Amino acid sequence: MNSFLALFPLLIIVFAALLVLILEVFIKKENRNYLAYVSLFFLIICGIICGKFWDKDYSYFDGYLFLDNFSIFLSFIIIITTFFVILLSMKYIFLQDVNYGEFYSLLLFALSGMMIMVSSGDFLVIFLGLEVLSISSYALAGLRIKDEKSSEAAIKYFLLGSFASAFFIYGLALLYGASHSTEILSIIDYFKSETSLSLMALIGLGLVIIGFGFKIAVVPFHMWTPDVYEGAPTPITAFFSVGPKAAGFAVLLRIFYPYWKVALNSQAIFWLLCIISVLTMVVGNFVALRQTNVKRILAYSSIAHAGYLLIAILAQDNTSLVFYLTVYLFMNIGAFAAVIALGKKDREYLELEDYAGVGFKYPWIGATFAVFLFSLAGFPPTGGFLAKFYVFVGAVRQGLVPLVIIGVLASLVSVFYYLRIIVYMYMREPSTEIEIYIENPALFLVLFLCLYGVLQLGLFPGNILILVQQAVSSLPLF
Amino acid sequence: MGHFLFFLLAIICVGSVLGMIISKNQAYNALLLVLAFASLGGLFGLLDAPFIATVQIIIYAGAIMVLFIFVIMMINLRLGLPPEKKKWTLYFSLGVAVVLIVELILSVKGAFSLFENSSMEKIGGPTDLGRLLFTKYLYPFEITSILIIAALVGAIVLVKKKEKE
Repeated sequence: MNSFLALFPLLIIVFAALLVLILEVFIKKENRNYLAYVSLFFLIICGIICGKFWDKDYSYFDGYLFLDNFSIFLSFIIIITTFFVILLSMKYIFLQDVNYGEFYSLLLFALSGMMIMVSSGDFLVIFLGLEVLSISSYALAGLRIKDEKSSEAAIKYFLLGSFASAFFIYGLALLYGASHSTEILSIIDYFKSETSLSLMALIGLGLVIIGFGFKIAVVPFHMWTPDVYEGAPTPITAFFSVGPKAAGFAVLLRIFYPYWKVALNSQAIFWLLCIISVLTMVVGNFVALRQTNVKRILAYSSIAHAGYLLIAILAQDNTSLVFYLTVYLFMNIGAFAAVIALGKKDREYLELEDYAGVGFKYPWIGATFAVFLFSLAGFPPTGGFLAKFYVFVGAVRQGLVPLVIIGVLASLVSVFYYLRIIVYMYMREPSTEIEIYIENPALFLVLFLCLYGVLQLGLFPGNILILVQQAVSSLPLF
Repeated sequence: MGHFLFFLLAIICVGSVLGMIISKNQAYNALLLVLAFASLGGLFGLLDAPFIATVQIIIYAGAIMVLFIFVIMMINLRLGLPPEKKKWTLYFSLGVAVVLIVELILSVKGAFSLFENSSMEKIGGPTDLGRLLFTKYLYPFEITSILIIAALVGAIVLVKKKEKE
């Protein structure tokens, strides 16, 4: 239905971002938490409105913007991510010296960029959304101005991100030249109508995939990930590891769900994605074995997870892809929340050595962290197990057995480095005592909610699966 | 007259780009680049696209060049480093150059047939552009404003002085 209402969720987020920017001038530095409350309030409102629009299928601007169930579900995922990240940041920005009022505003801008991306079927709009997301991310990565690593992260992210955008826009130009349209469905339609192999459009699509490959951090394009994840403020790292990935995969799903139906041209792209997926799983997991910094371990783990998600794209298994993204949100944010919990004024504990003995000294943090790590590794009864299980079963059904074998082997390797953190937490004598700032109710709320999410999705995934199926079935095919 | 202007502008454009590559002084490089952009603008003007010509001069010769000159001023390199003389980069760039020349020849050959049966359509006038921006492309156009404000906020927060404790 064509209605102005479709703009509402986006308008609320942009309004909140601008409001926070203005309020920042009037609010004293010690009271910056109020900005967080304002942002959280608007996020809740936006979430409620998105919920109201479920099944309504609003669209506006001649299809540049549509809120089908799929966009609403993905919007939910990224809104919840931002919600958690804001909760995690409330104490963090005071402790780690990133206390800028613009922090929340930039986060909300990044959120609006992702919402633009997931709720459009037009490459032009998707590109602009991607740029809004990227530009805000560059600034967020460099917010710890005194820390050289943070500046390094910002510069690296900026350079490689611009590079990725250039790839994307070049590919888009080629696709437009071939098909005379920037709309995804018309481009797929062109692929279908073409009787011979259209080289220009294929190269264009390949370049678009490369552009997204940078954003979702798959292997030949992952070089920036560990450095940026390490240097950025930790809540922002949590944000990077979930939000842009979810948005990027949403767009890939929008492209490839109809695309696989076009038999003629799809072979080359299929193999390209296969190779990327295998490389991502293997390199991500093996390099993670040698890391000693927990943030870097989690960075490589998030690269590896992108590989499993690509299998779902290749297997045309949309339900498990979206389900995986949902589980991934809870387990990854949860793991980062535990990492953030281990810090005090101007000091974060990020080396593996620091984690020795944490499991007994801070039993709650240790236990929840262990659950999230088990979930990331894919042990039952956590959500991570079911997510991986669905993806692999879906792939076997499509006959992608070799890919699944590699995936299972790679995730066996991953067990080593996830368990290593747990071994350090529970079975090593601490060499130095660590002191942490414990009065952080917002962070414990996030830990609890993520724990609930991971276990709920692992034990009783039924309700969510129904929602996911409804969301995916709203994807336009032709 | 048209032909004369075309060749004049084309020669200026190619000459200044060549000069830019050869010259080692950054300030000269920047100024020669301005000249190249300006003559490109003139070429667009000859093609009956006054709006693109103006935009070419305002954006490239104006905004982007000012940026370049600022960077040169701040970094203050007197003379660039002597170019590294590696064999393989030379061969590699020669190979790329040959590929590009072949591509150029092919595309010029292809373009000649287009010239003969092209109806001189007037494109890129400000009216058409404005109408498209505010009707068909309204949504992307508005997103651009979010993009710009996000970039502004990000840039300012990164460079502003540390707040007083």
